[in-house]
Amino acid sequence: MKALSVAYKNLKRKKIRTVLTIVGVGVAVAVLVSLFGFDAGYQRSLNNDIDKLGYHILVTAKGCPYEAATLMLKGGGGLRYMEDDVYKRILNDSRIDKIAPQLVASVYNQEGQGGRGAFALYMGIEKTYLYLKPWSEFKSGGWFSGPDSDEAIMGYEAAEVEQRLVGDQIFVPGINKVLTVKGIFQRTGTQDDGIIFIPLSTAQNIFELPGKLTGIGIKLKNIQDMAQFEEDLYNVPGIQVISLAQVRGTILNLVGSARAMANSIALIAIFIAIISVTNTILMSVFERTREIGVMKALGASAADIFKIIWMETILICIFGGIFGVAVAMFGSSAVEYIIRQTLPYAPTGKLVLIKPALLALSFLATVVMGLIAGTYPALRASLMKPVEAIRSGE
Amino acid sequence: MRRILTVIILVLIIGLPHMSSFAAVGCTLNDPDRDVKRLFPESTGYRTVFITIKEKGGEALRNEIENQLGDTLEPIYESIDVPYSFYTVLKGKEIIGYMHGVNQKGRYGGMQLILATELKGGIKAFYYQKMSSPEAGKFMDKEFTDKFTGLSLQDFLTGNLNIADPSINSSQDFAATLRGLKKNLILFNKLLPEKAQ
Repeated sequence: MKALSVAYKNLKRKKIRTVLTIVGVGVAVAVLVSLFGFDAGYQRSLNNDIDKLGYHILVTAKGCPYEAATLMLKGGGGLRYMEDDVYKRILNDSRIDKIAPQLVASVYNQEGQGGRGAFALYMGIEKTYLYLKPWSEFKSGGWFSGPDSDEAIMGYEAAEVEQRLVGDQIFVPGINKVLTVKGIFQRTGTQDDGIIFIPLSTAQNIFELPGKLTGIGIKLKNIQDMAQFEEDLYNVPGIQVISLAQVRGTILNLVGSARAMANSIALIAIFIAIISVTNTILMSVFERTREIGVMKALGASAADIFKIIWMETILICIFGGIFGVAVAMFGSSAVEYIIRQTLPYAPTGKLVLIKPALLALSFLATVVMGLIAGTYPALRASLMKPVEAIRSGE
Repeated sequence: MRRILTVIILVLIIGLPHMSSFAAVGCTLNDPDRDVKRLFPESTGYRTVFITIKEKGGEALRNEIENQLGDTLEPIYESIDVPYSFYTVLKGKEIIGYMHGVNQKGRYGGMQLILATELKGGIKAFYYQKMSSPEAGKFMDKEFTDKFTGLSLQDFLTGNLNIADPSINSSQDFAATLRGLKKNLILFNKLLPEKAQ
């Protein structure tokens, strides 16, 4: 207890140096917590996004990604479509649990964005779409009255922005079509919230895409059949098969490279923090050589000196750990904002997930870091010979 | 290459629907820097505040607004916690005008009605930031929107407007426009604390 008190008083003697060292340790801890928090949060959000798609496999027309990239980059239309024969061909495969054909169509709205023009997206679906997404519930209204009805079901946000209630009308620009709102979904926290759904047949008719689809979502009865199922579909001409497990792995791999680099930076930050703490304490020991000599001459043992110096290091690391943990907690929103601006693809949901266990572990790691960083200066101080120390300190 | 393709597809599946022209509920300017400069070329900056009826007076204020509007506010989309945005336009430190928008339910979709007002509250410019209607072009035509220039809240309250419906079959949207503009001016009058009188 006495060693702790002496160590604390020693730190207070050089306030600025102590504070700067604590801040250095704190920054290293904050970086560490944020990176591990990002690691956990990103994976969870990505898994959540992919799981909420509701299917294991997506079948699209060949060439679609190129067109999709054009659409995304240049805001142009021209998605690639495949024949719905593909759907009919695989519909009765016994390995399939649920299957949902989709048709995404984009129309150019001349009056969008204050007259500057904008694209609006509509998705044609069948009721099987809901089987893939059992969590989708109606806030009001219900399913289309028929497969060819001129009706729409709106995602929560779409209805909010368009201020639509069940029974209201919506206008599809570009093709001058009026649809009646039949239902509004509850908020799901997915992309579905912003979509306007229409019956698949209606979509094929009004967008003049008879027998066309943009994708088929498939959920298998047994996930173990995925590889063979994919293999079988590779023989169907004009389509490509994407397993979402593979997409998940690919994105995590891509992000993994950036993560590895960030982790290296964190390790370097921690290494620098350790060196900085060791250097600070060592300087303090050198400055107090005479004082340490006097303490030893008055009867302080090597163990007492070792304890005092070690305690100083640990105190710095404890305060640094508390500061770093606080910065990480309160700064997580800012870190999340920066990550969202930087990453090419950021899933919805919280990207930086800081759990109490992570905070506790990081704090513990900081204390261990203090133990390591303080060993050499404490050892050096404890091994000083009293007479030599008093003489060299003069 | 295969990796890139799969990522693009995922972005397409997950992210594409967000490309639609949906905006936030509280009607904000699409591009405030550009929009403010376009309507106030002499401006050097602007301040933005978001204010709800709830925080400025709650139910009592809503009743006042409804009385002036002569209509009830729709409980879901015009609730008292909808944030309204006000842009105070500056030239140096001097306030030279305001910009403010509201969402208004139209016949075929939500409208976003943006007003630029002068210090005394007169309309300097009006435009539709968003509108869905088969006759949207007629409403968004400058010839129609310019007819509101110079009008003030008083003109809307007394009904002294003398502006004809530009459409043939969209009288509901014309009525919605007048209601939305009146609501916009009432909210501007009631909610903006620093407004110059």
